[in-house]
Amino acid sequence: MVRTAVLLVLTLFVIGVAGCWRPYTFHGMVMQSPQPAPDFTLMTHQGQPLRLSDLRGRVVVLYFGYTFCPDVCPATLSEWAKVMRLLGDKADQVQLLMITVDPERDTPAKMADYVRHFDPRFIGLSGSVDEIARIATLYGIYYRKNEQEGKDYLVDHTATQTVVDKDGYIKLIFPFSATSDEIFADLRYILR
Amino acid sequence: MKRYLVYALSGIVFLFVLAVFAFVLWQPIQVLPRIRLAPAFALLDQDGHWLSNEDLRGRIVLYTFTHSRCLPPCPQTAMTLKAVQERLRQQDLGGVPITLVTLSFDPVHDTPAVLKAYARQLEVDERQWRFVTGSDPNRLKTIIGEGFAVYYQARPDGSFAFDPVYILVDGWGIVRGEYRYRTLTPDVDRIVRHIGVLAQEIRRSRGAARLAYEAAHLFLCYAP
Repeated sequence: MVRTAVLLVLTLFVIGVAGCWRPYTFHGMVMQSPQPAPDFTLMTHQGQPLRLSDLRGRVVVLYFGYTFCPDVCPATLSEWAKVMRLLGDKADQVQLLMITVDPERDTPAKMADYVRHFDPRFIGLSGSVDEIARIATLYGIYYRKNEQEGKDYLVDHTATQTVVDKDGYIKLIFPFSATSDEIFADLRYILR
Repeated sequence: MKRYLVYALSGIVFLFVLAVFAFVLWQPIQVLPRIRLAPAFALLDQDGHWLSNEDLRGRIVLYTFTHSRCLPPCPQTAMTLKAVQERLRQQDLGGVPITLVTLSFDPVHDTPAVLKAYARQLEVDERQWRFVTGSDPNRLKTIIGEGFAVYYQARPDGSFAFDPVYILVDGWGIVRGEYRYRTLTPDVDRIVRHIGVLAQEIRRSRGAARLAYEAAHLFLCYAP
């Protein structure tokens, strides 16, 4: 009788453990088919050229935004700053690149001030109007100037974030609504 | 006592392995692969309205690429799309919105007015089907050639050599299907079936069911 009871409890325990063990489910949208991330070279906020493929071996996060951005960009970059803190030592293996969709107004100095405010490890990137347009198009990032009567213009843009893995393949897409906890969980899994 | 435990444990492991095998073999859930990112664009449609990939977020979109002066033997991709549109009237997608987009790579000739006439001539439902083009040939080449990976080249006589293809994109802006004109007949059946598979995934892939759908992606359970 006791033996049966013990066995039953043990079996239930094992089923419980087996039930909890399941493949990791990402919060971001996973790209199974390996798509090489389109390569590009842009200027950093420190005035040096940076090529995406030079960052192989690190996880790269691409975020398209601009420094005049009233709410969306600061919200997203704050979440990513939190992610960097949560990652601790592993944050060294992650590089966030903010590519401006407003190259006419975003000078290197402005970009430097802006990204430093969130995390000093973030890099702001800029380039010619045509080059930025080409890169954004290939990453599926839409942006368009939104002229305001008597005010500075805004730029409407896609607010997703693209994660490129250590081998240079597009791995994950995060929506604007992704929280730092969700992003952290996904990155921790990629960096395991 | 000990022996029972070993039996119980190995039984559970066996059942688990069996379940994974069954899933992979019989594929109770089929999905379409996530192939690559679709490019961004903002182009003018047949009514002179802007259409961007961001406007189409959350919708299934079937793209094709042609120009309005494409007459036989130039591949009539519009006819396939028209057949797809007619078949979709009878198909229940459970409220998942779908848009058809014809992208013209001949912006010099295909102005919005010309595209409007082209749409009228095809007698299609223009609320669901947009005909768009850009003004800058270089940007257009980036969108179509690099972004959608579709080949096209102008010939000296004003016509075009191009790869007749249909591209299915989900609400996240990810390419989920590519179909070449008349290589896998009947095109229409396969495209309509795949739209159904995609709509089902969008509707059902929530909560616990999302796990099963992600497993189907992981095990490459792709719809034929």
